[in-house]
Amino acid sequence: MTSTLPAVTTPKVPAQRRPVPTAGSTGRTSPPLRLLSSRPDLLLCAVLLLAILAVQGWNIADYPTLSDDEGTYLAQAWAVQEGRGLAHYTYWYDHPPLGWIQIALLTWIPSALDPGLMTVGSMRVAMLLVSAASAVLVYVLGRRLSLPRWAAGLGMALFGLSPLSVVLQREIFLDNIAVMWLLLAFCLAASPSRHLWHHFGAGLAAAAGVLTKETMLVVLPALLVTMWRHGHADTRKFALTGAVTACTLAGLSYPLFALLKGELLPGAGHVSLWDGIKYQMARPGSGFILDPGSGSYGVLHSWLYYDRVLPVGGLAGALLLLVVHRWSVTARALAGPALAVVILAAVALRPGGYLPAMYIIGALPFLALVLAGATASVAHAALRRWRAEGERRAVTGGRYALAAVLALAAGAYVVPKWYDGDRTAVTADANAPYRQASKWLGREVADPADTRVLVDDALWLDLVHEGYRPGLGVIWFYKADLDPAVTKTLPHGWRDLDYVVASPTVRRDARDLPNVRAALRHSTPVAVFGTGADRIEIRQIAGGAR
Amino acid sequence: MLTSVLVAAVSLALFWMAAFTLWWQMHAWRTPEVLASTRFGRPDGGEHLSFSLLLPARHEQAVLDHTIQRLLESTHTDFEIIVIVGHDDPETTAVAEAAARRDARVRVVVDTHEKKNKPKAMNTALPHCRGDVVGVFDAEDQVHPELLAHVDHAFRTTDADVVQGGVQLINFHSSWYSLRNCLEYFFWFRSRLHLHAQKGFIPLGGNTVFVRTAVLREADGWDPDCLAEDCDLGVRLSSVGKKVVVAYDSDMVTREETPGSLMSLLKQRTRWNQGFLQVYRKKDWQQLPGFGQRLLARYTLMTPFLQAFSGVIIPLNAAVALFLDVPVGVAFLTFLPLVTAAVTFVFEVVGLHDFGKQYGLRVRFVHYVKLVVGGPFYQVLLAGAAIRAVWREQRGRNDWELTTHVGAHLTAAEPIREDVPA
Repeated sequence: MTSTLPAVTTPKVPAQRRPVPTAGSTGRTSPPLRLLSSRPDLLLCAVLLLAILAVQGWNIADYPTLSDDEGTYLAQAWAVQEGRGLAHYTYWYDHPPLGWIQIALLTWIPSALDPGLMTVGSMRVAMLLVSAASAVLVYVLGRRLSLPRWAAGLGMALFGLSPLSVVLQREIFLDNIAVMWLLLAFCLAASPSRHLWHHFGAGLAAAAGVLTKETMLVVLPALLVTMWRHGHADTRKFALTGAVTACTLAGLSYPLFALLKGELLPGAGHVSLWDGIKYQMARPGSGFILDPGSGSYGVLHSWLYYDRVLPVGGLAGALLLLVVHRWSVTARALAGPALAVVILAAVALRPGGYLPAMYIIGALPFLALVLAGATASVAHAALRRWRAEGERRAVTGGRYALAAVLALAAGAYVVPKWYDGDRTAVTADANAPYRQASKWLGREVADPADTRVLVDDALWLDLVHEGYRPGLGVIWFYKADLDPAVTKTLPHGWRDLDYVVASPTVRRDARDLPNVRAALRHSTPVAVFGTGADRIEIRQIAGGAR
Repeated sequence: MLTSVLVAAVSLALFWMAAFTLWWQMHAWRTPEVLASTRFGRPDGGEHLSFSLLLPARHEQAVLDHTIQRLLESTHTDFEIIVIVGHDDPETTAVAEAAARRDARVRVVVDTHEKKNKPKAMNTALPHCRGDVVGVFDAEDQVHPELLAHVDHAFRTTDADVVQGGVQLINFHSSWYSLRNCLEYFFWFRSRLHLHAQKGFIPLGGNTVFVRTAVLREADGWDPDCLAEDCDLGVRLSSVGKKVVVAYDSDMVTREETPGSLMSLLKQRTRWNQGFLQVYRKKDWQQLPGFGQRLLARYTLMTPFLQAFSGVIIPLNAAVALFLDVPVGVAFLTFLPLVTAAVTFVFEVVGLHDFGKQYGLRVRFVHYVKLVVGGPFYQVLLAGAAIRAVWREQRGRNDWELTTHVGAHLTAAEPIREDVPA
């Protein structure tokens, strides 16, 4: 090379020296760098975890009522375990498959020991693991967001013991697993060591969450805010781009999977990711959430029926934290969760959107943390704000009295309600009709292997274990109308069927499913379990071709 | 089936290789604390060490005087500059001697070896060094006046045997490859070298490197037959447990320029690669006590060749996945190396941004585009240099490529860089 005159490229460079960074961005109680070495934290967390596991685990199979969706995911997890692909019917990109792949892993060992355990009721136990992980992560996140120990514990208790949480977290919903991943992502984003690869890991965990349940996508901005707040100016750009890259690349694995299978774009004779997304985006709306009479309003009230404290209190807490953002360190530290609550609330409020019943699961941990944070904020205001050095003892005593009164009032309001809700959860038996129907179909039908029956997804695996042929013998009821591979085997419609098990879900959805409707019309009940709207009828098809 | 297994194995190997390289490349930015620790400590004002600064110069009359003058501006109070010139190079000698007449701190040593190279020149000067510490610079280096004070402080506070300062190519705007070349230096000196220092195995750079004179004499100076004598010295010293400290401050680095043409970059890279191969074959690194250290040494010295290999194999592997009929799971695996490559790309883009910030240089959008688009082509260049190095080493051609020019009376001085970034 030719030498150039050295002076040419010597711009005056400003000194870049910065002082060694000081640890901890905000917060009056800086959490210990390693929670694992803090005995009080471990103890509190362990006690709360035991309580949560006891309340959530007791009577888990019998309450709440088995949901159709649980059956869907568990059956698809069963298909994964059995090596039948991602679903026992054609996988049509309704959701990314990571969720039930994880369910398949969680239930692998018990189902290997006893295949009969692979039913919705008994496999709900697997969700306890997820709940436990999430609850611990809520505590860790609370501490990492500078909450005092008691407030982090309060957040964990709110998250795990609210009757609403108990009901929803017991169920085999993808949302519960996705929440666990998102919580992990938040914990990593708020890592006290601010390690580049922790943030990278946060991106990966977030992607896992989104690939488990795609609705988690809307929470990602809140994650980014958390990461930004916990980054250090010198390394932030590497950490943030690392996280975003990790999340994007991991998320792209889903379209890549579709591409490799030749199912990315629509085409004749195959399903496609494109069609799957189109279906989800075009789902008929359930109306405005505040419009009485709309489906969304009903969903909202089904949540408030179980618990008002967490949803309403949490939302109020989020708004409070946003308002006092300027003055309160707690509010700033909890900006991420508060933003998550606000985003989720905004999405729920969009008119004409589709609001599924499990929607609120994604908000539960953030509602809990925000409510705990708001409580901490109020406690701080009562006990410490405007407190001078030599404050009179009487005034200080007044502060503590006020705090005690507030705590007692809150306890008096919440505890009885939650006691009732949780008592129902550990004592009620909502699934007896399902169990009886399953037993009846195993006992009374002479040749299950050659019997064709329409059931809802929650009962499907039970019948598989009773000897019915999975897929075309025991049939998810709506596949009889919607899956060409199934309708092809029903050339005479309802006449090609033997039974239809009319559960509430089947009766509700039959309106839009001609084959199912016809099967109900041309059948008579041979056994009825339960009463009223929740009854399950086993109806035998009369005058069929079989 | 066999194809699937093979493809999966290759993919996973490539993935881990790329992942480790990325992990190490990002070492300095792992936490704010690590980043802060990579900088020089602020000098306390006490200056207790004396320096002998070696300045080998060959046909560099155009730049030498400026370099000496700038070195003389150093704020440190106790140093000498030893300019090493060849007996067959009267022009440079004249410049050096003129400088020596003006300032008593400058001395001239004449190298009379028939075949000349940098290690021989420096070995010639080693007996003449009076300082406690020997420092090496190149004839066209721009050295910061406060560097010596910082190095002095670093020696005293860390009890180091070797202090390696930062070297940075600056002219990223010159061409697409200089952009990548600059960034390579940035990642190497800013980040990766610190990891090596921490792990106790370090290939030193060719200049802005300071060694205690006694340690250097004990090690018999530089290896005159090695094409990467700087790397070799670092490997030998760290293998016997000498403590090496690396410090990087953007305002304290020695600034350099990239080779002027693709061909000279290729030649330079070939020489380094060949040098790395030689160091690998000398097996000094096998004395390293830790298994992990030896593994790191093996991997680092093989890096150019692994890089060449992976540059060829990654696209091939992806093509196999796309066009041959392999199971979806296996096809997935083949994308793993591509994913790490993408992550590396993104971090390079951020690195370029940081580089611009650190040096107060304006990085435009087009530079980012060049960085990304130029990536594969640079990979081809690296692969070419690696193959060329193996070829030359096989044929026993381990001369300094430049020496063929020496007798030909170059009109334009053609300095070569003797530092060794990966």
